[in-house]
Amino acid sequence: MKLFSKVLISCALLGSLVPVALAADNRNMGKDIGHVFLVSAEPAAKAVEVVKAAAKDLVLKGDAKCTVCHDESDSPKVLSISQTRHGVNADGRTPTCTSCHGESIAHLGHKGSSKPPKPDHMFGKNSATPVAERNQACLSCHSKDSKRHLWTGSAHQTNDVACTSCHQVHTNHDKVRDKRTQPEVCYTCHKEQRAQENRISHHPVGEGKVACSDCHNAHGSAGPKLLKKNTLNETCFTCHAEKRGPFLWEHQPVSEDCSNCHTPHGSNISPLLKSRAPFLCSECHNGPHNSKVPVAANAAGIQGGITATTATNPSESYTGRGCQNCHSMVHGSNHPAGALLHR
Amino acid sequence: MKMHTKKMKIDVLTLAVQGALLAMFAMPVHAADDVNDEVAALKRPTNSVEIGVGNVSHQSAKFGEYSGLNAANVGVIGNFDLRGGSAYNGVADGMRWNINGRDLGTTSRSLGGSLSNQGKWDLSIGYDELRHNITDTYQTPQQGAMGGNVFTLPATFGTVNGNPANMNVPGVTGSSRVLTPIQQAAFHTEKVGTTRKNTSFAAAYIFNEQLSVNFDYNHLNQTGAKLIAGASQSGLTPGSTWRAEAVSVLMNPTNYKTDNFNLALNWLGDSGHLTGAYYGSIFRDGYNSLSWQNSFTNNAASLSTCASGGACTYQANSMSTAPSNEFHQINLTGGYAFSSATKLAGGFSYGRNTQNDSYASALMFGGALPPQASLNGLVVTTHANLKLTNQTTKDLTLSAALKYNDRDNRTASNTYLYQSLNLAPNALTSYTGVNAPYSNRKTQLELAADYRIAKGQNLRVAYEREDIKRGCNNVVGGAQCVASPSSIEDKLALAYRMQATASVKLNAAYNYASRKATFDHNFLSNVGNRASILAGGANSVLNGGDFVGFVAYPYASRTQDMLKAGVNWQASEKLDLGLNGRYTSDKYDAVLGVQDGQNTSINLDATYSYSEESSVAAYASWQNGRRNMRSGANATFAGNGGTANVVPVNTYTNQLTDTSNAIGLNTKHTGLMGGKFELLGDLSYSLDKSRYSTQVPALLTCASTSLANSTLVCGDTPDIKTNVITLKLTGNYQVNKAGKVTLGYLFQQMKSSDFFYNGEAFGFTSGRMMPTGMMSPNYAIHAVAASYTLTF
Repeated sequence: MKLFSKVLISCALLGSLVPVALAADNRNMGKDIGHVFLVSAEPAAKAVEVVKAAAKDLVLKGDAKCTVCHDESDSPKVLSISQTRHGVNADGRTPTCTSCHGESIAHLGHKGSSKPPKPDHMFGKNSATPVAERNQACLSCHSKDSKRHLWTGSAHQTNDVACTSCHQVHTNHDKVRDKRTQPEVCYTCHKEQRAQENRISHHPVGEGKVACSDCHNAHGSAGPKLLKKNTLNETCFTCHAEKRGPFLWEHQPVSEDCSNCHTPHGSNISPLLKSRAPFLCSECHNGPHNSKVPVAANAAGIQGGITATTATNPSESYTGRGCQNCHSMVHGSNHPAGALLHR
Repeated sequence: MKMHTKKMKIDVLTLAVQGALLAMFAMPVHAADDVNDEVAALKRPTNSVEIGVGNVSHQSAKFGEYSGLNAANVGVIGNFDLRGGSAYNGVADGMRWNINGRDLGTTSRSLGGSLSNQGKWDLSIGYDELRHNITDTYQTPQQGAMGGNVFTLPATFGTVNGNPANMNVPGVTGSSRVLTPIQQAAFHTEKVGTTRKNTSFAAAYIFNEQLSVNFDYNHLNQTGAKLIAGASQSGLTPGSTWRAEAVSVLMNPTNYKTDNFNLALNWLGDSGHLTGAYYGSIFRDGYNSLSWQNSFTNNAASLSTCASGGACTYQANSMSTAPSNEFHQINLTGGYAFSSATKLAGGFSYGRNTQNDSYASALMFGGALPPQASLNGLVVTTHANLKLTNQTTKDLTLSAALKYNDRDNRTASNTYLYQSLNLAPNALTSYTGVNAPYSNRKTQLELAADYRIAKGQNLRVAYEREDIKRGCNNVVGGAQCVASPSSIEDKLALAYRMQATASVKLNAAYNYASRKATFDHNFLSNVGNRASILAGGANSVLNGGDFVGFVAYPYASRTQDMLKAGVNWQASEKLDLGLNGRYTSDKYDAVLGVQDGQNTSINLDATYSYSEESSVAAYASWQNGRRNMRSGANATFAGNGGTANVVPVNTYTNQLTDTSNAIGLNTKHTGLMGGKFELLGDLSYSLDKSRYSTQVPALLTCASTSLANSTLVCGDTPDIKTNVITLKLTGNYQVNKAGKVTLGYLFQQMKSSDFFYNGEAFGFTSGRMMPTGMMSPNYAIHAVAASYTLTF
């Protein structure tokens, strides 16, 4: 009976190791630690060590020592990194697990039934790894380019935002790099903008046609409010080049700062205006003809709204486009007779 | 993750037997296949193709403004994402490709593709289309297709209000606009909007670890139109400026083509990096003018009338369109690490923005040709930034930055004949104006320190000085061209963060800014009637024609306070709560003009993740803004002494109040129907209101209907109000491993009211304004969709 038992045990061990060897020959095959049957902690640790030594990399160079445990059943799916740019081994710059998570000696060398210590660097929401250390894992490769070299001291860096607060590394669908899903990532913190996007006048951000990153560089910039370009106007002109001029007749606040009149993230007053003419204009003009006249509701007026004139005769200076009924070229005019931005 | 250390209380022999049997006969085949499949599925690219149909219950320009759902009919849903390449197979090259398309059945469609050998080269192309609806309620008697630049009236239309006796003048009760049946019949509705078609191409090549080049190009083709008002002679006896305008709202063509391209050479060293780039942006407008016929007067220069139904000719008018222009910019960016603790980064840009589009046709030049046939405009922009950061100790980060932005407008200044709106197109000019090419220069110094007080506690202190200079290089006559030649603003910022407990994070910040602006109330405006200015003409002297004491808010001295605070509490593994708020206060130093403004916002968020893939999230946002303005009243009011150039005795105040409420609830529930069905829901509601309130504190009473100088109107405007409710429900049923059926339902309702549209309505427009009949958007739309997604 003892002899029979020994034979069976030997068969079991052999049987379990054979697939490992077979799997090792096939690059597309998964790893076979799943077929090691464990009977106690110590044999288990030994078995893992055996498999660690025998297993081959699944995705990244040198990942075997990690993927022997962090396999296809892991959640989130760590092996999906294969589908990302970080998973292309032919690119010499491609990292391996320990490039980001650290050598994690204690984690790898853990034996026993207790919960293993965490790897050196963890990136999850509740990670104990300081944000600066987490970010360093990314910045060691991604700081030396014109898009990220102003990260240090930028608004997001100084507010302790981690790269992984926005980015997901192990999935082929990184939400923040997809126009349709990027806003929900940004709105996690930028809640005022989330509400403003619901307003009647807005850029098509929620519709997935304009992304926050079309205007902003979240990694730091020399422009105001992390804008990609050097100035606000330069940023706006990327899409609204018709307002760039230079015009023969310039409107001074327009040439300086679009946000003197417009608000970019959403407004109750179309098109993305901070206020409605004629009140908008009255914030800067208080002299030329009707700009100095107060305008208000006229209870008796057929307008049921705004007029400074008689009930039957509302003035075009106040109604509809207000001042812009005549001064329609508010962004500048290139007409020789357009000095007052009329034409 | 598998736990291989789990103790198993199983008899060794039994286990061995089972193991032997399974290992030798079954497991090696089936289990390995399963595992291999799972691993392979994670490694291989995920392709998907989605096809389906959708139906929208009603047509609404506003609903389809950007969504591409413009019509009330059945449309096709088409999305795909296909990927491949040998790199996915783990072979020794980095070849990958991808083609994708989204919303193919709508006017918001996009297509893209990429091919790359990662680490060596990348290529990508893209196409993106966006229809931007502006309105579907615009009506006009002008004939001409949207997108064109010539609009004419039917010969039988006749003149409107041609009789000066019927011409309404502000302050004088007159007849309302009366359109004849023929004229009313000539109005037709146009769906106004623009279509943007964006084509892009990008390429990158990596020479070696140190050197790479990348190029991207984008071509934007814009068609359609936006609405613009065109003003011209009204038919009222000329000579009374501002009382003789005639306004038509027109479809201003957006016949635009913009080419943006960027070429960059990147160098990467051990301690430094440098990028040299060229950015070009070329804008072309297919037109340089917009012309229309004036329905208020007959013939080219006449104030005569023509009866509706007859063979009429009309006065032709024109205005300019956006001029073609170019922008070319050289950019240098780089950084150097002196040590692991000290880094320097910076950039330099030099750009030239030119515009030399030919002027519009000679019509309305005021009887003489301009001094040059085109502007030959040039603006040189220079930017430089330098930032030094140091982290000598782990707890302290220091940074110092300098930024410089210069807009140097080198365009020539000339004298141009100006023609008032009350003059016929080819009548002699009213007076001369001088163009003022504005320049400005901004220099910023920023100093900041981030200090880690203790574990989980950080303090940031920052100081910034912003120096702005404004002026003109040259103005005919050498006159000053701006009222505020300079300003200096000092800003101080304090921010504190604390990890109060393992689950609670707090943050608070306070910013203070003080702007000191120079302002010249003796400023003489350079635009408008320059001769009158120089001669001390009425309404054109001192302070650019504004009351002395009035300061335009962007140029006023100002103090600004900002306070914000927030808390995030992870109440449990499943429940996250967040609350934050912000308050800002601006105070302007101006006798007249904007006096102050306040903004407050409070946001509350809660997320409950009741399982790994299922959650409910809710948010609520409240925002409130106020702007208070104090302004001078009618210049001829007795208390003013009859001149505009002193602070008036009587003033009026105007307050803008903006209130915004938004709430949202979204949920994702998975694992239904045996794990095959998931339900996603999204409900949001927003209510935005803007109101203007005008008061006349200097007077005992306020008038309701008068422009008379002894009384002033006051009161509140009706709210500009928008109410939007949206409900989205999406159900995904996993038919099999590769197939998924999606059913979607969308309900969206918008209720809006805006006094803007009152002035556009038939019978309610000003006596000199052609109505458009446009209405504030209101809709309630139901949309359903069904699709099948194949994933492989």
